[in-house]
Amino acid sequence: MHFSERLSHLPRDTRDTLFLLCVIAWVVMPQTTHLPLWCSGMTALVLLWRGWIAVKGRPLPSRWWLLLWLAVASVATFGEHRTLMGRDAGVTFLVVLLALKTLEMRARRDAFVVFFLGFFTLLSNFFFSQSLLTAAAMVVGLLGLLTALVNHHMPVGRPPLMQAARTAGWMTLLGAPIMVVLFVLFPRVAPLWGLPGDAMGGRSGLSGSMQVGSLASLALDSSVAMRIRFEGAPPPQNELYFRGPVLSNFDGRDWKPSRAPLSARLQAAGTLRLSGPPVAYVVTLAGNNHPWLPVLDATPEAPTLAGYSVSRGPELQWAADRPMPELVRFKANSYTSFRYGPEVRVPALQDFVNLPAGFNPRTLQWAEEIRANPNTARADTATLVALVMERLRTGGYRYTLEPGVYGNHTADEFWFDRKEGFCEHIASSFVLLMRALDVPARVVTGYQGGELNAVDGIWTVRQSDAHAWTEVWMAGQGWVRVDPTSAVAPARTGSLARLLPPRSAIAQALGRISPGFEINLRALWEATNNRWNQWVLNYSQARQLDMLRNLGFDTPSWEDLSYLLLGAIIAASLVGAAWTQWERLRQDPWLRLLHAADRKLRRAGMLLQEPATPRQLAAALQTHAEQMQPQDLARAQRWLQQLEAWRYAPAAPNSPPARAALGTLQREFRQLRWPPNRPPHPPTP
Amino acid sequence: MNLALPNPLLHPIQHLKARINTFWMSRLKPRDSFTLTQRTVYILPTKPGWMLGVTLLVLLIASINYQLNLGYVLTFLLAGCAVVGMHVCHGTLRGLTLHLSPPEPTFAGSAANVLVHLHSERRAPRYGIGLATLGSQEWSWTDVPGQGSARVHLSFHPEQRGLHPLPALTAETQFPLGTFRVWTVWRPAASLLVYPAAESRPPPLPPGTPSAGGVQAAQRRSSGEFDGVRAYQRGDPLKAVVWKKVAKAGQLVSRDTQQAQRFELWLDLNHTGAFAGSAGTLEQRLSRLCAWVLAAGKQDVRFGLRLGGQEIAPDQGEAHQRACLTALALYAGA
Repeated sequence: MHFSERLSHLPRDTRDTLFLLCVIAWVVMPQTTHLPLWCSGMTALVLLWRGWIAVKGRPLPSRWWLLLWLAVASVATFGEHRTLMGRDAGVTFLVVLLALKTLEMRARRDAFVVFFLGFFTLLSNFFFSQSLLTAAAMVVGLLGLLTALVNHHMPVGRPPLMQAARTAGWMTLLGAPIMVVLFVLFPRVAPLWGLPGDAMGGRSGLSGSMQVGSLASLALDSSVAMRIRFEGAPPPQNELYFRGPVLSNFDGRDWKPSRAPLSARLQAAGTLRLSGPPVAYVVTLAGNNHPWLPVLDATPEAPTLAGYSVSRGPELQWAADRPMPELVRFKANSYTSFRYGPEVRVPALQDFVNLPAGFNPRTLQWAEEIRANPNTARADTATLVALVMERLRTGGYRYTLEPGVYGNHTADEFWFDRKEGFCEHIASSFVLLMRALDVPARVVTGYQGGELNAVDGIWTVRQSDAHAWTEVWMAGQGWVRVDPTSAVAPARTGSLARLLPPRSAIAQALGRISPGFEINLRALWEATNNRWNQWVLNYSQARQLDMLRNLGFDTPSWEDLSYLLLGAIIAASLVGAAWTQWERLRQDPWLRLLHAADRKLRRAGMLLQEPATPRQLAAALQTHAEQMQPQDLARAQRWLQQLEAWRYAPAAPNSPPARAALGTLQREFRQLRWPPNRPPHPPTP
Repeated sequence: MNLALPNPLLHPIQHLKARINTFWMSRLKPRDSFTLTQRTVYILPTKPGWMLGVTLLVLLIASINYQLNLGYVLTFLLAGCAVVGMHVCHGTLRGLTLHLSPPEPTFAGSAANVLVHLHSERRAPRYGIGLATLGSQEWSWTDVPGQGSARVHLSFHPEQRGLHPLPALTAETQFPLGTFRVWTVWRPAASLLVYPAAESRPPPLPPGTPSAGGVQAAQRRSSGEFDGVRAYQRGDPLKAVVWKKVAKAGQLVSRDTQQAQRFELWLDLNHTGAFAGSAGTLEQRLSRLCAWVLAAGKQDVRFGLRLGGQEIAPDQGEAHQRACLTALALYAGA
């Protein structure tokens, strides 16, 4: 038999169970990459087992089996996470529990437990991703769960699943406005108890230190780091340096921020002198659990960021007072033309020529040689920088995503052996050489460049735009940005070119057919995603208060939001009550006429069946003929006959339209004379 | 509805419950056709409904604590669906019209069948409507098509003979989410006639007695010819038996003449024979009479019925049988 035919011949129980299992698999699927392998495997196994039981009509396993599985899962969860509490352990356990519960769907209560665990599992997906795609997948999952729930409450026969799906779809559509109102008005409050520590893990971004090799993995990550809308013309691409943590302290392996006392760091910072017009822009920063605000060099005034207090470090780096776990938006004004740092060599600059002992002997040797060379012995810093940049340009150095694992002497390996690396290798090696030449230098991390979306004019900066460059101190000028990577790979900082991971076959084919199409599609997707971030993911308390301000509240607070929400609920209830009242009054006009006549007769004391038909009314009138004028009786009876005919007799082909005829009946009713009112007859014994 | 109330001192809560029930019942007007409106449809959350409430609360707390805006979306969408589900659930019963077909009389202890027609005016079908007699959990489920009708058979077991009002019926639905229970209570106006339970192994019919009018009838047709033969019945005189036919057919066969009908069968409450040695209670005797009436009806015998002072003249046929059974059902004692 054909597969789909066999599917449509399954007994109802089997079909319903298989459907529910598919929905559960769909809900669990997106998070399998975040679950321990044993958990995904066990879930898949249990679901398949349950499906087999359903198809073959076998009995469900006994409680003891379930308890055994549950114990195994608990031990494995504990082994994996060293706890049964917390987010990751909770999600792992939840998924296993959901799968195991399908083996125990005996009573109605069990089925409900499966549905509700399903709703929790839907939510747990959002711990790992809140993208548009995840949201769409979860809407499908929700519809699936609701369909199963509705189907569960259609006890008669074997209703098609489409029927339940349609009901579920309608309910979701009608529930959406309620969701929107609640979403907009429900006050966003701080976490009820401390944000669990595990909320910080698992998301990539800049880190506070730099270990050679760690940025290479970032470059492969094309997720969006931030989006920027410039209010005027954007600066040229090669000036788009978004400053992140500045790293001055090298221990041979890791670059870390300066550990010098604040006074020394302030001395090394000197003063900031700006020139030229400012660039104004708004940044939407994806939540990365870091405090840094990557802004363009140089930003003298604090970016406006609601909900956080923002301060500037001595190295021009702006940071919030605490990590930002969710999307934030801030405004900034930056001057791309600036001078910064002490003009004379102050003692604090000595920190920037420190080198750890015992590392990179060949680089030190090379610096000695440059110093010993009569041509360069007395050269100033600018000449030395130009010399090294020239070496990078012409010495056969290559920019690559896969530089391999470096040994202890990273600079030696870069300069003399491998001659290839990613921006951090280049920057690190450059700074080490400069320091060996007694030139104060440091590494700056951040983002460089970005991509303009032609659809909405917004610049997108990705994690793959993460970059490391250097700053070199020059007498009379202060700190000067030097990007050695631009010497190795000029395109890296000049245009859109990035090292991209190999593209999939489909993307290649698409790109070959119509490169413009792919770019447009991507631009559209980016714009949609941006809207999504702006309006859904970044909808915070600040946004809510902004909205209230627009509505005319002078000093909005979250209490105002609560009142507004309460008001909306009350208004909705009133509208609902009014609607039911209206629905109650809204009767079929024909029935209304019949009831009116019925009331007349009852008031005249006639005992009638309930509900009485027009024919019965006419018969009742006949029995009370002595109370009426004969012509009145005849008219009333004729009217009742017509009333009956309007409803039940097929309309004659040339009769006036039915509505008009009903109108006539209504008019005639007002002219009829009915028997006088009197109390009802006492019932005959 | 005259329910026996529990003792207010011994079972105060049960007493109160019964009082409230009685009060509720007395508010309901008995009728055979019942259109459900806002006023007659009740709604309360079910246990899974409360569970869903707790689920929503936990989802909300998780969304707040992990600052998940999509978590809010999910929570509120689910809440919206639950609210819509509540209205859908209420709408499933609201506007439905229930009609009752007059129930056929039945015997005490055996099932009485009630046929309920459900009629829906609205375009959308109504799913998952269950009907049961109030208090029983034997639900009959049905869907009502849009602008159409459905029929549901309900059965219950009346214990006592007599003319009883039908038990209150209830219609319920939990469609679509099972989070709310929407129900109504309906007191049908129709009554149900319950005959006494027929004795399961009654003694044979008592012998007929010669009747005064029967002799004349026999004399008018004194030829002794007979119209045919029929199965032997208790009370046939031995000379009416066609012995030749008996030898062939292996069973007793009587001449079917008017002669036999001169002997009239009277079923009398005072002559029902013995019940395991005693004279038997009234119900036991009525039960035997009931069995005899049925037996006589099956054998097409003319019979009459005497119940104390009440007397139903001998006759035969279905109408006669029904009249006798009705008299048995309603007999109030001497």
